[in-house]
Amino acid sequence: MTQKHLSIAITGAGGAGVISCGELLLQAWGRAGGRGLLRKAFGPQIRGGESAALLKLTERERYTAAERYDLLVAMDWDNYARFEDEICLSADTLVICEEKKPVPEAVSALTSHIVTLPFAAEARSTHQDGRVNMLALGLLGKLLGLPVDSLCELAARKLTKKPDPYREAAELCIRRGAALSPPSELDIPPRSEAQRWYISGNQCAGLAALEAGIRLVAAYPITPASDTLEWLAGGLEAVGGQLIQAEDELAAINMCLGAAFGGVPAFTATSGPGLALMTESIGLAVASETPVTILNVQRGGPSTGIPTKSEQSDLNIALCGMHGDAPHLVLAPLDIADCVFTTGWSVKLAQHLQTAAIVLSDQFIGQSTAIISDPDRCNFEFPAASAASGDYLRYRLTESGVSALATPGDPGCRFTADGLEHNEKGTPSANNSDHQQQLQKRLHKLTAFDYGDSWGRVSGDGQVAMVGFGSSSAAMEEAAERLAEQGIAVRVVALRLLSPLPVNALQKALSGCEQVVVVEQNHGKQLYHYLKGQMDFEQTLHSYAVPGPVPLSPVQIAERVAGEVGQ
Amino acid sequence: MSNESLALFLAHSIELESEAKNRYQELSETMATHHNDEVAQFFARMAREAKRHLKEVRQLAKGLELPKIRAWEFDWPGEEPPETASYEELHYLMTLRQAIEIAIKNERTAERYYRAMAATSSDQETITIATEFADEEVEHTAALEKMLADLPENGSCPRLDDDEPNMPE
Amino acid sequence: MNKALKAKDYKSDIKPIWCPGCGHYSVLNAITKAMAGLGLDKDNLALVSGIGCSSRLPAYVDSYGFHGVHGRGLAVAQGLKVARPELTVIALGGDGDGFSIGGNHFMHACRRNINMVYIAMDNEVYGMTKGQASPTSPEDWLSSKLTPHGPGVRPFKPAAVALASGATWIGRAYSGNPNQMAGLIAEAIEHPGFSFLHALSQCITFCPEQTDWKSIVKERAEPACTHHDQAAAVFFNEEGFDTGVLYTQQRAVWPPQQGSAPREDALDQLAAKFRV
Repeated sequence: MTQKHLSIAITGAGGAGVISCGELLLQAWGRAGGRGLLRKAFGPQIRGGESAALLKLTERERYTAAERYDLLVAMDWDNYARFEDEICLSADTLVICEEKKPVPEAVSALTSHIVTLPFAAEARSTHQDGRVNMLALGLLGKLLGLPVDSLCELAARKLTKKPDPYREAAELCIRRGAALSPPSELDIPPRSEAQRWYISGNQCAGLAALEAGIRLVAAYPITPASDTLEWLAGGLEAVGGQLIQAEDELAAINMCLGAAFGGVPAFTATSGPGLALMTESIGLAVASETPVTILNVQRGGPSTGIPTKSEQSDLNIALCGMHGDAPHLVLAPLDIADCVFTTGWSVKLAQHLQTAAIVLSDQFIGQSTAIISDPDRCNFEFPAASAASGDYLRYRLTESGVSALATPGDPGCRFTADGLEHNEKGTPSANNSDHQQQLQKRLHKLTAFDYGDSWGRVSGDGQVAMVGFGSSSAAMEEAAERLAEQGIAVRVVALRLLSPLPVNALQKALSGCEQVVVVEQNHGKQLYHYLKGQMDFEQTLHSYAVPGPVPLSPVQIAERVAGEVGQ
Repeated sequence: MSNESLALFLAHSIELESEAKNRYQELSETMATHHNDEVAQFFARMAREAKRHLKEVRQLAKGLELPKIRAWEFDWPGEEPPETASYEELHYLMTLRQAIEIAIKNERTAERYYRAMAATSSDQETITIATEFADEEVEHTAALEKMLADLPENGSCPRLDDDEPNMPE
Repeated sequence: MNKALKAKDYKSDIKPIWCPGCGHYSVLNAITKAMAGLGLDKDNLALVSGIGCSSRLPAYVDSYGFHGVHGRGLAVAQGLKVARPELTVIALGGDGDGFSIGGNHFMHACRRNINMVYIAMDNEVYGMTKGQASPTSPEDWLSSKLTPHGPGVRPFKPAAVALASGATWIGRAYSGNPNQMAGLIAEAIEHPGFSFLHALSQCITFCPEQTDWKSIVKERAEPACTHHDQAAAVFFNEEGFDTGVLYTQQRAVWPPQQGSAPREDALDQLAAKFRV
């Protein structure tokens, strides 16, 4: 059954502070036992532009973008048109807005539930430093049944470095806002007791990296990955690691390889344009068998694309971006909380298999903040490759394909890592059998490894299946619920491991199905073509591929799947 | 010779008013883009006033052949023409009070410039016109000061924004 | 006869989204004044940029423009100028774009001495991605979450690197003085060779302390250095706030002008050489 949810959009411009309002509200909601998701949308200005805080309060921790907003709080209507694609209103939407500004026709045409309040005047009269966003916070908190003291405390914590009058004004406005709250019949999702986290996907990935042993990060800022790197700057210091701000992505990836060669697990985070720059050296990681993990937070492409919006269009480059035959790992977190498990797993796999792991997150997962339960960790411990001894061959052919890895400092095991093709010793070689053997070794170590059950998440049952990865996962799962309500049973297979593709496991997961719809957020049907190329399907394959910038819609996915199965 | 001196003075006056108009127009546009409507409207009004004054000056200069001077070759007391607000004094959260204070400062700078022109010229027409212009600036200043007096006080922390800067690219 | 264009006429219809208080407004103002002062033909004018707040500038000018990828504006500009030497080509970008990821291209562009202009709008920060330190940030600049204890490394010296790499015109300007900047840009355009203008341009949002620049920037009193030893002494010892033309030199522009026009049968001649 589809879960109960309440979607709230808060918009405003010119420094209205609506993002802070959304953040504090979600924090208070989470503290009170609720679950929910916060996304943000902006105009192109760095300061003072039009902004929107987009909240979805839910029963369960399955987070998709809101189809329709139940409540819109508008501090003003400045450039509101920018958000019309994202903030869909219906006849039932309650709009609470500033009395002094005329409501746009686009809004009043859709809904007649409009309550105006003198936000600006009330803020000014409450305190000379009063702000409308704190009024809105109090108002919304009251609507949701949240204790006003909790809101005040969270606001005080956020504003701790601000001058006293400002902080006083905030508390007074929150309380005043609660008093101004209009009566409403909003259907509010239930809350429960458990202790939860308030965290973004990017932060989850950063935490996981440290927990999995990363102690060197080389960073170059890029939207939307910079948050991970900035979080890691503080985190690494706490655990005795190091962060180098590199001059560019070419330097960043190579600095990681240097650290890894020195035995220190290394990590970097980037987005499409940065990943494109890194490909040559990711190939070097593969050829020299140097472990490295690269988080790629996908954004609208190609080229500079749409930096602040999500897409899943880097699959191709993640899978095939390296020149030559360069098999490596590609994984994708299923959702915000899963960034912890999957990033941790990726680091451990990269370290154990001595290869490059690309973790495909995306802007939706990376930059959304959510309330989650204590996230699952990857607790696998992989045995260290047998200690190097006597006659050390860095690239020794072994049954598993993984050779013992010596590190500078280890006595008697000196070797030179090389991107040039090499023999077992590591000496450059153009020899036929060396190339065949080393190519085979580097492939075999990945394909022979037992990845266990973590390769993906399978849910539901039916003759139709949906397959996807990353932020498609939650969208598919919600679509499946909607279809179930219509009497259409659907199986959902959300892939974590993309390369090497777990063909057997995937075939097993799909057995009994007749149709498969491949769901993805890109224009080129990248996953669809990849799956078709990698395995034979008993089923008929269909493609549902819709690029960004708007998030995937479970309603539209469900419609398409229903249509595809001819019902 | 007196025509040359007047022509040079008027060329400077035209540039002064023209730059003031263009600058206020730009400042108005950027404040509008950043949703500070009160200040945007004020700067737009100042641009209109500068435009009016520019028209007057151009009228006075009719018939005269004005020297062609490139933007960086004008002789100003400061870096920019008097009455041209510096881009760098702006802030997206500035109050109307702060905007008016900037405008008043500009008017006073312009007044000082015109008085100096009157004091140092040996051409009677230049002196007359420069003095007139200086007196007009005094009027403008008085009008702005009245506007200021009618405004409520600012809050103590007008330039605080709870939200972080955005990352557009 | 065409009416002489004013600075305003070189602006496009697109309104800048830079923060109010940003120094880049002054740079845009100065560029358009320089164009008007030189009477440049808009159709034979190209602005090339990379990625960052500074790099948004070409969209605000009514000329041809190329908004490329991060750090590679100079490479694109050089390719354009070599292919179309009659165009006026101005490359521009920020300190992150130009001295970090673009550092390599900066060195080699100076070395080639192609006849073009490069304006680096230096605000000592990565503004567009929310305030990380850049190569010109002070060593102890504490305002970035990525380097919370400050970068801890000595800032990059753009003028010194330009000199060592072979630039033949090095100037410095400041956003608080757009008229002076306009004059410098005009000179840079007219100089035959690679002209590097280091434009200090404050970032009101991430570096509000840069409003202090006003009191330390001063115009260089002496004429420009004409010998590299002299210039090196200046660039290695200065604080970096002197404005004006700092160094100028005459050196052969690359590539040298083509000789006579190609023969009509040139291609046939080339193919014929393969006959055995």
